[in-house]
Amino acid sequence: MSVEFLESIVYDGLFAAVAATGFAVISNPPRKAVVVSAFMAAVGHGLRFYLMKGGTLDIATSSFIAAFVIGLMSIFFARLIHCPAEVFSFPSLLPMIPGMFAYKTILAMMKFLQGRDEMMAMSNLFEIFRNGLTTLLVLFALVVGAAIPLFIFYKQSFQMTRLIKKAGL
Amino acid sequence: MIAYSKFSTKLIFLFFLLLCFIACFCVLLYGNRLSDCMGEKEDIQELLNFLLEYSTSLMGVGVQTARVVHNTTRIAKAFGFSLDMTIFQKSIIMTIVDDDDPLHPKTSVDKIKPLALNFELISTLSALSWYIYDNRPTLDEVWVKFRTIMAKPRMSRWWVLFLVSCANASFCRLFGGDGIAMAVVFLATLVGFLIRQEMMNRHMNHLFIFVVSAFVASMVGGIVVINHWGNTPEIALASSVLYLIPGVPLINSVIDFMDGHVLAGFSRLINACLLIICIAIGLSITLLILGVNSL
Repeated sequence: MSVEFLESIVYDGLFAAVAATGFAVISNPPRKAVVVSAFMAAVGHGLRFYLMKGGTLDIATSSFIAAFVIGLMSIFFARLIHCPAEVFSFPSLLPMIPGMFAYKTILAMMKFLQGRDEMMAMSNLFEIFRNGLTTLLVLFALVVGAAIPLFIFYKQSFQMTRLIKKAGL
Repeated sequence: MIAYSKFSTKLIFLFFLLLCFIACFCVLLYGNRLSDCMGEKEDIQELLNFLLEYSTSLMGVGVQTARVVHNTTRIAKAFGFSLDMTIFQKSIIMTIVDDDDPLHPKTSVDKIKPLALNFELISTLSALSWYIYDNRPTLDEVWVKFRTIMAKPRMSRWWVLFLVSCANASFCRLFGGDGIAMAVVFLATLVGFLIRQEMMNRHMNHLFIFVVSAFVASMVGGIVVINHWGNTPEIALASSVLYLIPGVPLINSVIDFMDGHVLAGFSRLINACLLIICIAIGLSITLLILGVNSL
């Protein structure tokens, strides 16, 4: 692994952290949760970057793995700072939303509607389906990957905000 | 003879007085204990009102449906009541019944409050339900705590505006945009989000708000495309509208599906899809104005 590659992973994580902070404050989270979601977004997005560029995985599978790691970390941090896990796992997923693919789908759709050439229409249809399917699959992978840890630790995930532990409960 | 009878009447009178005192004392004691027993259980209607207020507020701020059900049931259980609730897309129906008096259930309906997303409320309201479960305060104390939680102000809107703009600019960088693209996206988000906040303060239709702010933000992002600034004009245009993506309802809807709350999950999914379609419409108008074939 070269130094440049490591450096690009770190930069990727840093920008993902800024993005997660900004998207988190829209939904008014507790102050501690903002820091945690920035950290988790940095780790998650850096991991996805590494899996996509360093390995041979496609964007949907690597998103799934990154989201699963984010979900596991959110359970851990939820226990640590007594917040529901989804409060910081949701904002840290947002930097991974496939915006470029969604944009390309819309662009191809507009080109398909405007175009008169039949060959161009075929290639535009292909673009619509390829980008649209990628968008859907990545979104689905993100959501399911982050939700699975919540269901593994189902009972615990509702007890994170409890401050007093009673014996026998 | 007369003196003796006078003495005996006095004695009998005193005896009766004493008996009366004892009786009064007993009644007082018994009555006290009786009212104590009554005081342990809250009034069923009062509790139902609180639970409806609690669950409609919680449902409005964007939390998975299972958590609403769990929290509300937990509070009812703490007061010694059983609860069943049905959640529709716009209202909640709730039936509670006293565990000691199972023949008299009470049912009520309330509309889900149209609140903005607020994760701090999710956290503190969940903590409140555990506090009630562990400490059993009276309903009046609970109301006071609930009102202080609900009255807590949000983060300053200017801070939110600034942070969202930074976020979208670095989002642009994540897609591979250069410095110029990042600067323009920052500006586009600043303008678009300001318009969204202003229109939300005026309580306009939220779908219309999304169309307009997506259009304005992408038009500002389109400056790069018109002037051919930088190497990545298309990325600037694409990421200028991404701050609008309704990520939280989308994730919540899938979690609801997996939990079995299919109806609530579907209504969330359809709402999120409507918002995404509105963003697409706003972006498409910009693309038509800029000229699709030039991109």
